[in-house]
Amino acid sequence: MTRSSLIRRLKLKKQQQMKQSSKTSSKQIEITKNLDENIKNLKEVLGDPGDLIVRELIIGGIESRAAIIYISGLTDENLINNNILKAIQLNLKEFEGEILEKIHKEVIAVTDVTKAEAMDEISFAILNGNTALYVDGSETVLLLGTIGGESRPIEAPASETLIRGPRDGFVESIETNMALVRRDIKDPNLRFKAHAVGKRSKQKLVVCYLEGITNPEIVKEVNRRLETIDIDYLSDSSYVEQWIEDSFLSPFPQLLNTERPDKVSSDLMQGKVAILVDGTPFALLAPITIGDSLHSMEDYTQRWLTASLLRLLRYLSAFFALFLPALYIALVSYHPGMLPSTLAYSIAATREGVPFPGAVEAILMAITFEILHEAGIRLPKAIGQTIGIVGGLVIGEAAVSAGIVSPIMVIVTALTAIASFSVPSYSVAITFRTLRFAFMVAAALLGLYGIILVYIMVNIHIVNLKSIGVPYSTPFSPTFTKDWKDLILRSPITSLTERTTYLKPKDHRSKDIKPE
Amino acid sequence: MSTFKYGDEKITSREIMIAIPSMIIAVGILTFPRHLAELTVASDGWISIIIGGLIAILLTWLVAKIASNFPNQSFLSYASTLATRPVAIVLTCFYVIQGILITAFEVRAITDISHQFLFNETPVEIVGLTFLLVVVYAVSGTRAGLFRLNAMFLPIIFFTTLLLIIFSIAFMKGSNLLPVLKTDLQGHLQGTMKSTLSYTGIGILFFYISLVKNPKKAPSRAAFGMGLVVVVYSAIYLTTIAVFGETATANIRFPLIELSKTIEIPGGFFERLESIFFVIWIMAIFTTTAMALDIAVMALNSIFPNANKLKIIFLLSPIVFFISVLPQDFMDLGTFGDYVSYTGWGLTGTTAILLGILYKVKGAKKRGK
Repeated sequence: MTRSSLIRRLKLKKQQQMKQSSKTSSKQIEITKNLDENIKNLKEVLGDPGDLIVRELIIGGIESRAAIIYISGLTDENLINNNILKAIQLNLKEFEGEILEKIHKEVIAVTDVTKAEAMDEISFAILNGNTALYVDGSETVLLLGTIGGESRPIEAPASETLIRGPRDGFVESIETNMALVRRDIKDPNLRFKAHAVGKRSKQKLVVCYLEGITNPEIVKEVNRRLETIDIDYLSDSSYVEQWIEDSFLSPFPQLLNTERPDKVSSDLMQGKVAILVDGTPFALLAPITIGDSLHSMEDYTQRWLTASLLRLLRYLSAFFALFLPALYIALVSYHPGMLPSTLAYSIAATREGVPFPGAVEAILMAITFEILHEAGIRLPKAIGQTIGIVGGLVIGEAAVSAGIVSPIMVIVTALTAIASFSVPSYSVAITFRTLRFAFMVAAALLGLYGIILVYIMVNIHIVNLKSIGVPYSTPFSPTFTKDWKDLILRSPITSLTERTTYLKPKDHRSKDIKPE
Repeated sequence: MSTFKYGDEKITSREIMIAIPSMIIAVGILTFPRHLAELTVASDGWISIIIGGLIAILLTWLVAKIASNFPNQSFLSYASTLATRPVAIVLTCFYVIQGILITAFEVRAITDISHQFLFNETPVEIVGLTFLLVVVYAVSGTRAGLFRLNAMFLPIIFFTTLLLIIFSIAFMKGSNLLPVLKTDLQGHLQGTMKSTLSYTGIGILFFYISLVKNPKKAPSRAAFGMGLVVVVYSAIYLTTIAVFGETATANIRFPLIELSKTIEIPGGFFERLESIFFVIWIMAIFTTTAMALDIAVMALNSIFPNANKLKIIFLLSPIVFFISVLPQDFMDLGTFGDYVSYTGWGLTGTTAILLGILYKVKGAKKRGK
């Protein structure tokens, strides 16, 4: 109730702001026939920046004045020098009639050429890395597609490494990313629906799906939500994720992010929707469910038996990552009788000199570990090793010999840490880290009873959560038994002949059985 | 957002099938072997369970049949069509009270048992209150979410119970089950009466069938769900008797928890597993409690359609909590439980027979014209 009204209020506020802003930015500058005046106007609009290159020239053959304008760094300068500048200067033809038209058709050797007459359009194109060609005496400007400049080469994704599988990862350029997906799926039904997001940054965002497979309702809903985005600049696709997710109060990620084109392609084939955002190597996948959180592309590149066992291992480590410290607290503080007597004695003996109760001990160690983890990520690699050594001392030997924690607690902390690193997706791992603390607090207050209550609460939350309208607890419940083939176990590839049914794809079969 | 049909507030007959065991299996599962062993000789209690179960299946089918004749109609609206509106309102009010009583009973029972098995220093009120708060959280969510929760928990509960039975095999003594069929008719009758008490909660069908999109299959599915409960109960009863014998079972307060205390899981990592098993049964008890409160909310909401669901929940939960602290001791609680079960059967039975007869009569009239 309160949430929806809060959103409504925010929306109203935004609408009012939009009305105001549209009033203020409506001054239009006309393009005139005078070249100097045009250049002056353009410089004024852009604030005469240092990286704006204005190259005045005389068109060979007809001796008419012209100018090419671009921003260095955003453009492919080779292309400008060889195919535009040289071509115009070395031109010997004499034109009659419309000069611009002739230059467009006969001189310039660039594929992507458009005409523009509005200042907004021109400045936007230049800021995107295009080159503007002004010709004296013409009110039309040619915009030449010279987008280029330095960008990161395609590398192996840093956040999701595989032993076996493709090595390419997304980069910051959306064109490259789209090409990577196209290279995987050479299907004419692959659709890229473009949106422009960011009121000031005007970034390109692309919704990617397969026509005839993806349920149109999902595509419609994703597009509808994307259109509500009202923000100046998106530094990463996580802005989109946070804007369009179903519940911002949930600790669970409702869109999956990935750096892997093969992951995007295989999920598109299942009937999901991918969102690519310019300027980030992280693509978003939706809708996702709780079952996706522990899946990795590795599951499909290994043979099914190996893959299934690995998945079971991951489920086990997810259990450890969530419950182990909480169980330690509950067993040590509330139910020591549950442990076999010899183990109970040895735990009691090692805890002899420890001044704190089990809960304080566990929370202390967990927080220490979280700090080490966070510090390790932020530090440059060279210093990162120091953290490893310091961390090893802090959670290891020194803490024990100082009598602050018991050796068994060190084992618990270490096992929990390793287990949480085996969760394939970082955003899911973070969710588990958050929930682990909830379980620990509950265990400290009410023992096993507290753990089960929090577990029930997490389940209640999951069954009420949705990802783009799809219940998060699918395919467990609402039950789609056909999808269980690729859920906790991964059955042989030959048996995975149908697309994920909970996504209600238009075309169910993913492999056609060949007639014999 | 309801992009997908299976994501909305409607449920399927399969979810009704799951809801029945989730509702029926509650605190009763922990205690019923004691009550039965008191009344019957050796392993004969299974006959009572089956007979009681058959009656329960029949009633389940009848209730589901009546309710599914009025698809997508609330209990209040079809009860008003069959009986008159005042009668329907009175019946609905009874269901509100029934829902509150079941919730209060389960909350109190779970408080007492946790107090005994998990910790005895924490104040009981805190234990009960935390449980009730989680129930309130569940009911405040969507109703379809509650059914999804059932589907998530029921397999875990069945699996754990199966595990318990398998690990008990090593401790079973065949001689404990003998002699067979020595109970007199009186004993069987009383046993059946007692065992039916463990099948309380069929009344939820009057309300939940209205959420089913296509309730044609609902009666058979609901009856099947009840069948599952009968199987589970029989298996548990026979296991308990085989392990402890009749006399011991009759004297153990919570035979099922005692059973989990007895067994050993190979590997020697855990001893005394009763806490783990009990904690998992908390999930079973939780689904019952949440649905009972939800029925109370739903019934009240049908009388006051303009009232906010959350306000009703916040109005009811203090009452529930207050009632739950009323019983003085465990004897009191047992009487309270029996009372709740008897009234539950009485109410559901009366409503079913009343509406069933009225439906026949009115249907006959229509056909006559």
